[in-house]
Amino acid sequence: MKQTCIFQDTETPEKTTDLLAAAVRMYGRDGFESHVVLVNASPETFTGRFHHVIQVAEGLVADNDPRAITEILETLHQTHRFDSILIPGTTLGKMIAPRLAWRLKTGLATGVTDITVRDGRIEITRPAGSGTILETILPEGPGPVMMTIRTHAFEHPPEETVPTRISQYSRPVTTRSTLTRLGVEQNIIESRDIRDSEVLVAGGGGAARCFPALKPLADALNGAVAASRKLVDQGIARRHIQVGQSGKTVSPKVYLALGIHGSMQHLAGLRGAVSIIAVNTSLHAPICRLSDMVVQGDACEFIEKLMDKMMCNPHKNT
Amino acid sequence: MPMKLICTVKFVPDPDSLTAGPNRLILNPDDACALAFALAVKSGDPGVTVEAVTLGPLSVRPHMEDLLRLAVDRGTLIWDPGLEDSDAFVTSKVLSRYIAGRPCDCVLTGSYSLDGGSAQVPVQIAESLGLDQMPGVIRIDPDRFDPTRAVFQAVDETGVTTWEMAMPGVLSLTRESGYKLPYPALTDLRRDVSEDVNILTSRDLGFSADQVGRASSLTRVAGSSPVTYGEKDPKIVGTDDDGITQVVDFLKKKGVCR
Ligand SMILES: Cc1cc2nc3c(=O)[nH]c(=O)nc-3n(C[C@H](O)[C@H](O)[C@H](O)COP(=O)(O)OP(=O)(O)OC[C@H]3O[C@@H](n4cnc5c(N)ncnc54)[C@H](O)[C@@H]3O)c2cc1C
Ligand SMILES: Nc1ncnc2c1ncn2[C@@H]1O[C@H](COP(=O)(O)O)[C@@H](O)[C@H]1O
Repeated sequence: MKQTCIFQDTETPEKTTDLLAAAVRMYGRDGFESHVVLVNASPETFTGRFHHVIQVAEGLVADNDPRAITEILETLHQTHRFDSILIPGTTLGKMIAPRLAWRLKTGLATGVTDITVRDGRIEITRPAGSGTILETILPEGPGPVMMTIRTHAFEHPPEETVPTRISQYSRPVTTRSTLTRLGVEQNIIESRDIRDSEVLVAGGGGAARCFPALKPLADALNGAVAASRKLVDQGIARRHIQVGQSGKTVSPKVYLALGIHGSMQHLAGLRGAVSIIAVNTSLHAPICRLSDMVVQGDACEFIEKLMDKMMCNPHKNT
Repeated sequence: MPMKLICTVKFVPDPDSLTAGPNRLILNPDDACALAFALAVKSGDPGVTVEAVTLGPLSVRPHMEDLLRLAVDRGTLIWDPGLEDSDAFVTSKVLSRYIAGRPCDCVLTGSYSLDGGSAQVPVQIAESLGLDQMPGVIRIDPDRFDPTRAVFQAVDETGVTTWEMAMPGVLSLTRESGYKLPYPALTDLRRDVSEDVNILTSRDLGFSADQVGRASSLTRVAGSSPVTYGEKDPKIVGTDDDGITQVVDFLKKKGVCR
């Protein structure tokens, strides 16, 4: 029986369970025992889903201390000898995983989007080259298989429950970070990372004249605004919200492409998008062929009409 | 005490010139911002020293020379054929051993490299040196950046957070910071720096052949393929009332609109 350790998604705790899907890919549904490590979530949410819930004792570590959390995971590995350690690709996860891999002298695949097993070997897929290529990574060496998993890459359906054992981790921690949080400017939509958004409302050349109208629509859908390079180059949008080969690779559930043509370089950043709605005056724009739905018409008129029609639940989770 | 700053820099294929040939290299955009910040600190206090270090093929030597023309005090290029095919783990191991030998007040890095993009190297350098590290840095307060601590802002899932961190530490900037490299002075443009890049091999750093390169890498890239896009058969609607209703229904079905 393989042992897999999953670290809690500290941003969206309920998404932690989705990482089980990665373990299922490696070992099959019944081929592993799952351990989940929680730092700021209550075990109830995870009871019945994981075989072993390890709750870090309250107050033992700050929930944003990557060095202390690394030490805890290392100690747990020494006890449980995990075959794999899966960490969500959140900011905190990305600060922990390389430290842990370093300590355990094992390889790490980051931003993983797919896993297959071929001839008994685990093959890990991750986008590279600014999203234009997919790399296949083979773990080498004796250490546990370690990866950070890209947000939304896997989905684990709720299924029959498993018996859960709950334990507490309370060993004193010796390494701590010196980081002190002085202040947070929450939800500045322009600086929120578009890679972490489930909904992206993206504007291109055809939406240039009404670009500011994208923000209220994004807010209403609890999403973020993104842009094609055209608007960035024109100074209408800021570079850090650019999607594409020379911008970011995104993986939203829904990508609204407003007046975006769908150049190869733009599509390079869109591989992970689950559904695309294109709004374009031309049905021949390449983005249309990749879309689930195409609205033929003017992007600005579309935004106005959609806002009028929608009875969304604004600012969910904000 | 003027600060000693070390910037890790990587030269990556220019995504804007991929069609013009694969070999044009640029300074990784995040690293350019980190170096630009370091040079800005130096321009405010000439006692500050800035060193750039890269692990990469000898073909990046002219690029390192360009950095020396920008008032970088020391440029180090670590290379030997044995380093070829090193993964992030080996890269971190080599860079951190070099940095350990040159005590400094802050290591400035990029958050991601455009080609690899694993965001692993800065974290492992920090772990190896026993330091803190923060990715996504967009601004460092020049008035609160000294050998004891740094106050800076970084982007994460929730927005922008202001942090204080003890120095020495590792700060990883992103290109969203907008720090821009200066242009070299005219006199510097003509300066012959061809002998000034400090070139080291892994052996100089005390590694044996089996400790670097493919031999000691812990991951292997078995292959890569261009991303392809599955074509769909989209539903086509207009911007009339019926079309908009269908869009709302679609959004509801996806659970993003209630
Ligand atoms: C090396 C390289 C890297 C690049 N990297 C990127 C990158 O990272 N990201 C990126 O986006 N681009 C990138 N580009 C640029 C890319 O090639 C395109 O030029 C760019 O994506 C075009 O942006 P667009 O689709 O918004 O604009 P346009 O090409 O102007 O397309 C506008 C679209 O909107 C439609 N339209 C026009 N009016 C309206 C209206 N009123 N309502 C609705 N629709 C309308 C048009 O039919 C058209 O399809 C890169 C290019 C190169 C060479
Ligand atoms: N070969 C290298 N030489 C110097 N610095 C590097 C190298 N690889 C990575 N780095 C640094 O680590 C950062 C993140 O790179 P990566 O871990 O590859 O995403 C880069 O922005 C560089 O600052």
